[in-house]
Amino acid sequence: MTDTSRGSRKPGVAAVALFGVLVAVILSSASGFGDPTGFPADESVVHNIGYALFDIELGEIASEGFLAAFLIIALALDVALDSAVYLAKQEDEGSVVSALTDGGRDIASTDSPGSVDASGTTDSQSAVDSDGGEP
Amino acid sequence: MVPLEYYLLLSSAIFCIGLFGILTRRNALYFLMSVELMMNAAILNLVAFSFHWGNLTGQTFALFAIALAAAEVAVGIGIILALYRNFGDIDVMEAATMRW
Repeated sequence: MTDTSRGSRKPGVAAVALFGVLVAVILSSASGFGDPTGFPADESVVHNIGYALFDIELGEIASEGFLAAFLIIALALDVALDSAVYLAKQEDEGSVVSALTDGGRDIASTDSPGSVDASGTTDSQSAVDSDGGEP
Repeated sequence: MVPLEYYLLLSSAIFCIGLFGILTRRNALYFLMSVELMMNAAILNLVAFSFHWGNLTGQTFALFAIALAAAEVAVGIGIILALYRNFGDIDVMEAATMRW
């Protein structure tokens, strides 16, 4: 974000050099690709992708079945969601504070400033505690 | 029809921009964005070759790659949050050890 986040630009020369190499390779082999085959104009690509996702043999455009991959990705997304929530949790003096808090305070208790919560402390006092200051 | 070389040139440019960001930046958010750029370059290649060969496998695989990229961003931002809480900064050079 700031200037302190910038490292040295010297390693970036490697990226520029790699781009030069890639451009040289692509342009030198440009004639070997030939004309693109493309998809039939009267076929819906979206429909055929749907058929491929669920391994249904109705598509006119060639593809493989991806039903197993679809289920595995669903599991991976679930794991990623759980792990993101776990990483966003914050441990505060031994107790796990859920992600649905505001700096360690319950969201519900922030609606009324100065209200007394169940432990008998006010919101402002809780805020000082969560910041590590003297209560 | 757009020739395949144009897609490949665009893809390599995006990939190298992402690589440049990874090599020169120290901010974890820039890192994450740069990784996304590199991943999108690979996805662009998949779609371009799918169109070139008239086979939908590449486009379907690109969909899966996009889903995995979303999962990667979710975990990445969680890690950045943990990094900020424990080091007070999201400079990737600060986190030199695996534990704190």
